[in-house]
Amino acid sequence: MAEVVRFENVGLRYGLGPEVLQDISFGLEAGSFHFLIGPSGAGKSSLLRLMYLAHRQTRGLISLFGRDVSTLPREQFPKIRRRIGVVFQDFRLLPHLSAFDNVALPLRVAGVRESEIRRHVEELLVWVALENHMDVRPPTMSGGQQQRVAIARAVIARPKILYADEPTGNVDDRIADRLMHLFEELNRLGTTVVIATHNEAIVHDFGRPVLRIDGGRLEIFPADDPNSADLAEVEETFE
Amino acid sequence: MTLFRQSNLALEKDDTNRFLPWLIAFMVLLAALSVAGLLMLHQISSAFEHGIQDTMTIQIPAGENSRADETHVRKALAALKKVDGILASKRIAAAEISDLLKPWLGETAGSDGLPLPQIIDVEVDRSSDLTAEKLADLLAPILPGTSVDDHSVWLTSLVDTLRSTELIASSIVLLITLATIGTVIFTTRTGMGIHRRTIEVLHFVGAQDEFIARQFALRAFIVGLQGGIVGILLAAPILYLLDFVLKNLEDGLLPKASLDVSIWVSVGTIIPIIALIAMATARSTVLKTLKKMV
Repeated sequence: MAEVVRFENVGLRYGLGPEVLQDISFGLEAGSFHFLIGPSGAGKSSLLRLMYLAHRQTRGLISLFGRDVSTLPREQFPKIRRRIGVVFQDFRLLPHLSAFDNVALPLRVAGVRESEIRRHVEELLVWVALENHMDVRPPTMSGGQQQRVAIARAVIARPKILYADEPTGNVDDRIADRLMHLFEELNRLGTTVVIATHNEAIVHDFGRPVLRIDGGRLEIFPADDPNSADLAEVEETFE
Repeated sequence: MTLFRQSNLALEKDDTNRFLPWLIAFMVLLAALSVAGLLMLHQISSAFEHGIQDTMTIQIPAGENSRADETHVRKALAALKKVDGILASKRIAAAEISDLLKPWLGETAGSDGLPLPQIIDVEVDRSSDLTAEKLADLLAPILPGTSVDDHSVWLTSLVDTLRSTELIASSIVLLITLATIGTVIFTTRTGMGIHRRTIEVLHFVGAQDEFIARQFALRAFIVGLQGGIVGILLAAPILYLLDFVLKNLEDGLLPKASLDVSIWVSVGTIIPIIALIAMATARSTVLKTLKKMV
């Protein structure tokens, strides 16, 4: 299977500070599903930011969808970003827009016709059980509802890759389980999924390959890796 | 409608955007007064140029007596009728000359003790090549000592003064434009700072810089229009007052100048011009700033 993400000896530092990511090398095959784990401050968010083009690496090579983004002019970034969906830890919903308009944003940005937007967004809001909250603005929604709006926004444009940063952090176990099954369903439809999480139970239950980051360095545990299965070592990284 | 639907930044709710229309209104008020003043000055200087450049004044030295003066004037008028390029010639009555000189020479002006030269006003066809020198040369054999004045000495300095004032007014308009551009740049950058997170989200969902810049540009255009309209509404009564004063100036003090339709139209065009300047400035500021982002 073709790789949609490839990192080779990637390093990242902010300003003149120390390297927060060191010699990161890995590849994600199209249609794969990974968990990204690690203690707070280990570099999970920094790694994700590189993966969704919010930052440029200090060194090394990053390619997305077979294109070297290290040297890609920024005018080309929107095209690549439209193929990536991101669920932010803090949702990053636009508070002045309704749930409908938040979810519609990626399609409007891409210039999709309004009639098509309406059809797709309504369908997706039904799928995340928010059909009765289309006109509600995020500040008046619960954390779980906001999370589902954020997920709907991330997947509305049918991205090839979906990154979710702590998607189960603000919801109870039942909804967390539902969300994870939703991500699995998207994965079955061909989307490459990376979930950054602190939730060890989920990592246990879903038995997927794990990217563990600690001290700015990355280790990979395949799904069938006995180390990954007992997660003893991995759990030490949880706070 | 699409343009309005694309407003994802809620720029209209910014404090900066509440303040900006009033700043622009003040700039437009100053610009309107300057533009109107500039165009009226231009009217006056053109009237001076046209009104006086079309005329020449012939001065015939005083003769031995009034009969001689009369003969000289008749000779001159007869000669002027034969000169190409002269449309009309009119003798200035002695009494009129005496009246004009009274403030300087007193009651004695024009009396036997102080004889005055005879004056003839000549209306010249501007398209002809007749000059004061040529006319003086033509009259010299018939009336020695006659001088012809085309007013160039004092006219040039007067028109130069008016033109300099026009230049100053133009500079003020330019400064106001630059100040408006500076204000829009500052406000746009502040707005981008306020909406940084929203801009990031728009980028993450695949928005081109142009998509974001268009929203700032549209908002700046609307604010420019609002400020422009308010500024012109504030300027209108002041301009009416100026027009009233100019219309009631004593005849002959200045050539007639008024706020005609062309001046009102010029002042009115400040509204779309300022809105377009604000729009273009906001757009280029956003695009330049976004280039520094990832």
